[in-house]
Amino acid sequence: MASPRLKSSQLRERSLLLTDRKITGMQSAPGIIDMRDAFFSALFDLARRDTNVVFLTADMGAYSLGKFKAELPGQYINIGIAEQNMASVAAGLSLSGKKVFIYAIAPFVTQRCYEQIKVDISGMNLPVTVVGIGGGISYNSDGLSHHATQDIAVMRALPNFAIYSPSDAISAAASAVLSYHGNAPSYVRLDKGTYAPLYRSNERFSAGVTELKKGNDILIISTGPITHNAMKVSIALEKSGLRAGVADLYRIKPLNGTAILKIIKSYRRIATLEEHSSIGGIGSAISELLTDNAIAEAPLKRLALRDCTCDGYGDREWMLAQHGLDINSLANTVITFIKGAK
Amino acid sequence: MTSGQLQKKAQWVRRQVLEIIAATKRGHIGGAFSCADILTVLYYSKILRFDASCPQMSDRDRFLLSKGHACLALYVILADLGFFPFSELQEYCRKGSRLGGHPDRNIPGIEADTGSLGHGLGIGAGMSMAARLDDKAYLTYVLLGDGECYEGSVWEAAMFAAHHELNNLVAIVDRNRQCAMEFTENCNRLEPLSDKWHSFGWDTITVDGHSIEALCEILRPVKTRTSKKPLAILANTIKGKGVSFMEANVSWHHGIPTAEELAVARKELAVD
Repeated sequence: MASPRLKSSQLRERSLLLTDRKITGMQSAPGIIDMRDAFFSALFDLARRDTNVVFLTADMGAYSLGKFKAELPGQYINIGIAEQNMASVAAGLSLSGKKVFIYAIAPFVTQRCYEQIKVDISGMNLPVTVVGIGGGISYNSDGLSHHATQDIAVMRALPNFAIYSPSDAISAAASAVLSYHGNAPSYVRLDKGTYAPLYRSNERFSAGVTELKKGNDILIISTGPITHNAMKVSIALEKSGLRAGVADLYRIKPLNGTAILKIIKSYRRIATLEEHSSIGGIGSAISELLTDNAIAEAPLKRLALRDCTCDGYGDREWMLAQHGLDINSLANTVITFIKGAK
Repeated sequence: MTSGQLQKKAQWVRRQVLEIIAATKRGHIGGAFSCADILTVLYYSKILRFDASCPQMSDRDRFLLSKGHACLALYVILADLGFFPFSELQEYCRKGSRLGGHPDRNIPGIEADTGSLGHGLGIGAGMSMAARLDDKAYLTYVLLGDGECYEGSVWEAAMFAAHHELNNLVAIVDRNRQCAMEFTENCNRLEPLSDKWHSFGWDTITVDGHSIEALCEILRPVKTRTSKKPLAILANTIKGKGVSFMEANVSWHHGIPTAEELAVARKELAVD
């Protein structure tokens, strides 16, 4: 990968990737690939078979995109740092029979061009996939401008959209396939870095939610890479004699209410965990599901980023801790919730 | 059609727009009147390639009304040409109608939903790019308002189209010199507007947007252009054109005529 021809944006990407590996504590085991590369490799395979797949990037790179650009140049356009135009051009291409993927850092590709997405893509129900890199505070010390902490809230409000939020390389690759075959607008909330696999490579990814670990005291419904924290919290709770199940909500919209309600029947309490504002994310979605189904016997605790523009820059782990989303804080909060204290 | 017939057709279009607005008390009359001649030339003088009985014909030219609020003039023309029943115009903005205050793709002949300004040129650039990728010969025309040119996304699209040499894309700017509440040069100066398009890498032509002959002269050779650049046509127009008290009067962006005003307007927009 150490090519002297790497562009500055690619070098920056590479630097961030290495930083991520360090701060998440994830070891880059052989065979485990970056979520982006998993996604773009799957997309490359689709595009190679279907020349109507067109990829637009707002000057955002990734390792595996180099191959896409080199081998499928007619299907790859770096449109420049112009997200509004990218969304509208995507609509025009899509109205002409193309399956379009648009790509940038998550806050820019969702919120900078939100109105174009609303009117041109959602409004006309076009098969355009919005790929946002860096969900939550993935771009930690780059600051608020680069954080995607309201993206689920705003994208969830758009009719026709599906929202995929993968938690490992396997589900990331599946997100490319699911959005391609969806024949409708979709948003993929992609993350950077490598994560231990939560899924087997033959997972079908049809239900939208997977109960990764069974328990009975509490079900933690999580989405995206922070699901790995949920798994660790579950292990930590075992020391207190508590059995916490973990469900990975890899498709946030349409929410598979039937499957979720079936899973939560086995639990006394529910928590939601997300690297997103406490307003409008999966905590809100699950709360709405419980309310709409008049389920009062399952108390819900929403674990999310606080509704604030928090001061201070740091790495992702440090910033998550400021929001009480590190393993220890999460475990303590969940134990307190289970014991019925405040 | 001859120039005289096109002139009469444009007058007739304005009259129909007036009657619909008078009946429904809804609609943007000033901008519909300013672009009526442009739309008439595009649709009635064989500039646009289309088949009203097959609106999705693959090699049709694409037309996008990016200044979607002027849709009544387009609805009248599409209905007149048989894209949908003329009687349906009476349903404009009424309960359950597909004819709303801005274009909707559910209407035969409408290529894309528009209404929020600054979207059409990007969508059109995408269509032009698709034609390039698929080796199709159709052209894409986008009609913008001049006030719309305040939107930054217009210039993102302009830059993109020029960079990719989308010479199959034609932008027509309805330069009526008014936005909703002001004259453009008093609000946020647009001039030198032609120079702006030129500096973004477009071929530019300025034309009298109410001269049928001049519009035909400009638009007829568009299909055989050899330039690699996209084309911007700045059509100088008058908002409210055709009704004396509406012309260049900022009250008529979406004004509704009173009974007295309607009588005067009907007289001035008399049709055979």
